[in-house]
Amino acid sequence: MRGRRRAARDPALLAAVVVVWALLALFIVYPLGRLVVRTFTDGGHLTLGNVLAILGDPHHRQAFWNSLLLGALVGICGTALGFLFALTAARANLSRGWVTLLDAATLLPLVSPPFTTAIAMIFSFGPRGLITYGLLGLKGVTVYGLASTLFSETLTYFPIAYLTLKPILAGIDPNVEDMAQSLGASRWRVFRTVTLPLAVPGFANAFLLLFTASLADFATPLILAGNSFPVLPTQAYLQITGLFDLGGGAVLSFLLLVPALAVYLLQRYWVSRRSYVTVTGKVGAQTTVKTVAPWLRWPLLGGCLAVAVAILYFYALLFYASIVVALGANHAWTWRHYQVIFTDGLKAIGDTLIIAGVGMPLGGCYAILLGYLVARKAFPGRHLMEMVSMLNYALPGTIVGIAYLVAFNDPPLALTGGALIIVACYVFRYSPTGIRATVALLQQIDPSIEEASAGLGARSATTFRRITVPLIVPAFFAALGVVFIRSMTAISATIFLVSIGWTLITVRILENMTELALGPAAAFSVLVVVVVFAVIALISLGLRRWRVPGAADFSSIFGG
Amino acid sequence: MSPGGIRVQGISKQFSHRVKGLVYAVRDVSLDVAPGQLVTLLGPSGCGKTTTLRMIAGFERPDAGRIVIGDQDVTDVRVSARGIGFVFQNYALFPHLSVFENVAYGLRVQKAPEREIARRVGEVLALVGLAGHERQQPNQLSGGEQQRVALARAIVIRPRVLLFDEPLSNLDATLRVQMRGEIQALQKALSITAVYVTHDQEEAMAISDRIAVMEGGRIVQEGTAEELYARPASEFVARFIGRTNLVAGRVLAASASAVEVEALGRRLTLPAGGAALVPGAAVRLVVRPETIDLAPPEPGDAPQGVVVSRTFLGEKVEYEIRVGEETLQVTGYSPLQRGVLAPGQPIALRIHGESVRLLPETAE
Repeated sequence: MRGRRRAARDPALLAAVVVVWALLALFIVYPLGRLVVRTFTDGGHLTLGNVLAILGDPHHRQAFWNSLLLGALVGICGTALGFLFALTAARANLSRGWVTLLDAATLLPLVSPPFTTAIAMIFSFGPRGLITYGLLGLKGVTVYGLASTLFSETLTYFPIAYLTLKPILAGIDPNVEDMAQSLGASRWRVFRTVTLPLAVPGFANAFLLLFTASLADFATPLILAGNSFPVLPTQAYLQITGLFDLGGGAVLSFLLLVPALAVYLLQRYWVSRRSYVTVTGKVGAQTTVKTVAPWLRWPLLGGCLAVAVAILYFYALLFYASIVVALGANHAWTWRHYQVIFTDGLKAIGDTLIIAGVGMPLGGCYAILLGYLVARKAFPGRHLMEMVSMLNYALPGTIVGIAYLVAFNDPPLALTGGALIIVACYVFRYSPTGIRATVALLQQIDPSIEEASAGLGARSATTFRRITVPLIVPAFFAALGVVFIRSMTAISATIFLVSIGWTLITVRILENMTELALGPAAAFSVLVVVVVFAVIALISLGLRRWRVPGAADFSSIFGG
Repeated sequence: MSPGGIRVQGISKQFSHRVKGLVYAVRDVSLDVAPGQLVTLLGPSGCGKTTTLRMIAGFERPDAGRIVIGDQDVTDVRVSARGIGFVFQNYALFPHLSVFENVAYGLRVQKAPEREIARRVGEVLALVGLAGHERQQPNQLSGGEQQRVALARAIVIRPRVLLFDEPLSNLDATLRVQMRGEIQALQKALSITAVYVTHDQEEAMAISDRIAVMEGGRIVQEGTAEELYARPASEFVARFIGRTNLVAGRVLAASASAVEVEALGRRLTLPAGGAALVPGAAVRLVVRPETIDLAPPEPGDAPQGVVVSRTFLGEKVEYEIRVGEETLQVTGYSPLQRGVLAPGQPIALRIHGESVRLLPETAE
């Protein structure tokens, strides 16, 4: 009631709300709705026949269980690894240099194309792999299957667990642990009875995030899982591109939707409410953390460094593969692969940069507008707006891609084949990070600052332009960065949307992999990593320059 | 610009509470602020004083009632068009703007010419004692300096009314006393109508022309500091304004000019209050600690009370005196001349009946 009156009195707000809802309806609600309709109708009739037909195939049923199994295993292994890193970084009293090194090592997998580790796995452990064949002399080794997919996904996604757990562990007041020790508890007991229980919500959250990431991962299983270990995203892809069965693909992606949505809701309404850290409030006197015994520091650090070295090895290998004729066979130095990608592959590079360049500012503006509306304005449906805006981000890319394909393939909204649909897909799928950053920043900025502006005679549009925007510039940069990086690296949704007219680097890498042109694939991957790091450096520079004194640091935003 | 007054007419505001459902934050509040006056809304946290202030400012919209500033009904007017100056508890300085730009903000919104902006900002910063700080960022200032910037920013636009939301609560005690003097001097010099919110009764008494005491979303009494102290309308006001003893008593006889009351085991003759009192009625006596005189009992007289404890504070001594069932707070001034009583000492006490206020007994 109150909200409606306020919106009515402020035409700028009303217009903004209407525009955002229209966008959400068109690019999030409508495609998902069409996907559901496609799954449950046949020639205009409501039916379960489509679902039953797909479920009747044991191969598809196997894929469903495999997806859940893989997700659970990646969740467990990745959370464990992330906890090791977080404990070492936050509670082992290491000097800043070591922590920076750990941060850098975990940033690498986060910002790379999702299958870089998968490719490096093939180079290392494939039939002619550097380690299996070159080092150990094994023959007939098969790298494909659950173990290597699990290994690759764990290494790719554990940084998410690290970024989730580190602030929680760092936020535990050392005085609480001191208190427990002063009551006579040993270090191990303090760790078991105080530190770990406080971190439990973080574990649950990290597990669910990794589970979703693995459930959604398309590229790694496509390269590494092989025929013996089918999972849902790859099955859906093969159903559509191999069998030209859009309906079957839609049903398979709908099967994927069920666990993904369940996890999303679980995380949103259960886990996120259970953080202890924010409750503790004021930190007391300065004290050093004593949870981790001094002698234990070095084994912990050693474990982390071993993982970091493995990551660096994979990336070094990727680079090496891009500058030799054929890894494993002919190690002569060559620029040929780079010549190939800058001639044959030039169109993919150009298309990707154009799409990323167009999507970046659109995503940034959309993110801060929506974040601002949700965090600061009272209007009916505010929470619903926020929830809907997160959907495309929370759901596996395969679902989003197929939903776009289903929705925008026919008139009146025939967008497939153009660049617009790819841009829209990226904007609505990857802006939520910027939206969250905007909301988080605004929650730190007291509303009275904006009220002070209104009190001085500024209308809401003026206040937004002169006060709010300068204060949320960091979130804007974060939004730009994430949209750009994902535009360069993502594949799971957009693989369904590329066409003769518009293609992407990541899609070309996949094609190269299937054609066994491993050199150009490696060269493309190196190019993407270099461009992404250059953009991150630029944005960090921008953040430092624009950072409002006393405002929050947003350099770790790329993880979300 | 001649100052306008503020008329608040029966405003109410409800909030939905998670557990209690719809609750009144402010219920049927009316308030008149004469032009150039400073009125304080005083009360404990949660009494609705800040909500009332925010409705006058326009940050909240009342569910019922009207608000008039000058001779304009502003109930449906946007904040930005009300011509108010608001000073926030946390100052709410724009963190990305320098001191100069913070103060200049309102003038820039008005599209004032650059030269006028420079002149007026300079004048106002000099007025609050911050000349020379123009280029600093807010986070480089101390709390007191931030407070002055907030004040300068509010007055530079020459608002029709100035509104203060607990502006001093983030400062230390010494600075608080100094700043409240400066705020009062500035408000009088500019003669701007002002509403001031605080929970600190001493601050309210020091700064205000009039005080409105709020409890549970309503104004329970309004008047000057002296009126509230001398004639509190309820136990709540008596307790909130100054220290007090609330002594149980019973009416023995009442006439038009005086009331006979039995309290503390004696008969007291008090001036008649406003309320009609009948013999036998239970009453509460509001007895301020400084209106009781203590002396050693005359030889031969029975002692009336005994000193339980004392706190020596320099210019005064605060005693706890046990009289029968009751424990009284008594303040003795100038202890160096008059001497200090020791705990355990029996004493006689004399109550100045003319300064005692009678309240009807209420169920608590």
